Amino acid sequence: MVSTPYPGSPDPLAAEAIAQGKRRRERRRTLTAYGFLLPSFVFFFIFLIIPLITVVYLSFTNYNIVTAPQWVGMDNYTRLFQDPLFWRGLRNSFIYLVVTPILITLSIALAIVVNRKLRGIFVFRTIYYIPAVTSVVAVGMIFEIVFAEPSGLINGVLLALGWIERPLNFLTHPDSTLISVMLVTIWRGIGFYMVIFLAALQAVPEELYEAAAIDGANRFQQHLYITVPGIRPAIIFVAIISSISALKVFEEIFVMTDGSAGVLDSALTLMFYLYRQGFVNLNAGYAAAIAVIFTIVTLGFSIANLRFLERGSRDNR
Amino acid sequence: MTTVNPNAGRLRRRKRLQKWFANSGWYVILISFALITVIPFLWTALMSVRPNSASVFRPARPPEIIPYPGLIGWGYGQREAQAEGEYTALPWDSSLPEGTQHGWWRNYTNTFAEVFQNVGLAQFSFPATTVNYYRVWTDVNLPAYFFNSFVVAISVVLLQLFTCSLAAYPLAKMRFRGRDAIFYLILSTLIFPEQLTLIPSFIISVNVLGLGNTLQGLIIPFGANAFGIFLLRQTYQSIPDELIEAARIDGASEMGIWWRILLPLIRPGLATLAIFSFIGSWNSFLWPLLMIRQENLYTLPLGLAFLEGAFTGNLRTVAAGIIVATVPIIIVFLMFQRQFVRGLSGAVKG
Repeated sequence: MVSTPYPGSPDPLAAEAIAQGKRRRERRRTLTAYGFLLPSFVFFFIFLIIPLITVVYLSFTNYNIVTAPQWVGMDNYTRLFQDPLFWRGLRNSFIYLVVTPILITLSIALAIVVNRKLRGIFVFRTIYYIPAVTSVVAVGMIFEIVFAEPSGLINGVLLALGWIERPLNFLTHPDSTLISVMLVTIWRGIGFYMVIFLAALQAVPEELYEAAAIDGANRFQQHLYITVPGIRPAIIFVAIISSISALKVFEEIFVMTDGSAGVLDSALTLMFYLYRQGFVNLNAGYAAAIAVIFTIVTLGFSIANLRFLERGSRDNR
Repeated sequence: MTTVNPNAGRLRRRKRLQKWFANSGWYVILISFALITVIPFLWTALMSVRPNSASVFRPARPPEIIPYPGLIGWGYGQREAQAEGEYTALPWDSSLPEGTQHGWWRNYTNTFAEVFQNVGLAQFSFPATTVNYYRVWTDVNLPAYFFNSFVVAISVVLLQLFTCSLAAYPLAKMRFRGRDAIFYLILSTLIFPEQLTLIPSFIISVNVLGLGNTLQGLIIPFGANAFGIFLLRQTYQSIPDELIEAARIDGASEMGIWWRILLPLIRPGLATLAIFSFIGSWNSFLWPLLMIRQENLYTLPLGLAFLEGAFTGNLRTVAAGIIVATVPIIIVFLMFQRQFVRGLSGAVKG
């Protein structure tokens, strides 16, 4: 039974008519709403929903993009788990995750510094943000010039000072390539995450710090017990997005190793392997299987992050 | 009174000095981090103006880090300028090969070297040149890459502003069945890395829609943006409901309300989304790398990445290319930084 819109209304027929009109209006409103959503939905459907389904299907096929896909069942996955390059990619992607805690620590520290009311602080905030708006390609090439041997910035200075005898192999040695690229990711990321933490810091009430200071907490303790819990949502957010972007790293490596994934594929990550299998070797089915595994890893990691950091916040309360 | 005033001034000055000293530790941190941020850019800029010779660091001598004007100009005739010390080619110059562009070059090296010699900085200085910039501008099709990047980025921005501002309106301000479900569905798509859909999206774009090797292929797949919808929904929510109710009572259609009343009001949110999607599109690399095969359709990051192939071993010209490609986006950022930072903070708080 439809509830009467006007409680005092004596005529049930009139009430019914009003309710009907209301329903019609509601239907029209729903239609209008979906009309507004339609353009976005078309794009989402073609470039997100269909691909999401297709990629799972393709991962069970043998497909070279040109001829029709052939169903091969779990073949791609069994091959994948025996593929040493896949394991290396997975390992390197996990090694790359080391940038996440470093980025979080450094950018929180920097956010605390730029949150102080100092003259000209806006200039510094702006400068720190510049790497984040520069393209990964440009940043990668800038650091190729900085890391160059023997006359790049770092090697040049160290050689001129006589601190080293031979130039350091930043990008030409299998052991150091990945680390060099990670340094660049950290350099580019700090400013970006700093802005996020700065916004979170400004929402932490100042009285808390004063109260802690009266209770005799030193500055480090204040930040440990007030700042970190206060900006926990931002930390969770940054932990998730920075670990996703660490797991999926590709462009930095492509640019800084000139498309080769480093000496002897030493800097091969999961995403790089996906690119190589799918678009260089044209094994799209195999690459789709990598994409699926990659997504499971990423989602698992995001959920673990969320669980771990959320539990921490519950314990504190 | 006359004795108090100078005292007060001195006191104030001392206080300011004390404050400066108290804060100087912070400034040391701030400045050293700013240097870490800026020096790679400066180093690249330094490389880009160096003539094609000797390295900055020489054994047992100070590094050459102060540029002074050397061979400056644009167009044909650098070599003549270098040889003769001064050269200005004019359109009617008969020494130019038939059909070449005329140029303007002058070699200031001797004039300024003397100046720096007198100041005693000769050891640190070197003649800067515009040769690398001229070369990168003409030998690779940099203007075309710029044009392509610009067309793609502007189109993506306009398309996303349109679709996102449309979609966010009902999600923020209308009540209808399935609203929350749709909103959370859109939000949940953010969790999936775009790499998951890379292969099927590529196949759909190239094999089904025929967008391979076209600029449209860099625009249309980015027609909707879940983050943009989320951002604009928040902006819409800050608008009071009464305003929309009043417009409805006046008989305005939903489309009219959206176009005439709401869009002007959510301009800050639109600006934030615009700059985010502009920079995202301007800097994107992987998708253009897959889609574009033809050199004249390259976007700037693609052109940059293949610059090294074009100038093997010549890092100076590559450096000039990096500077040319990077400076515009930094200028855009400096112009719109307020919207940028506000958008980022808003997205976090929401």
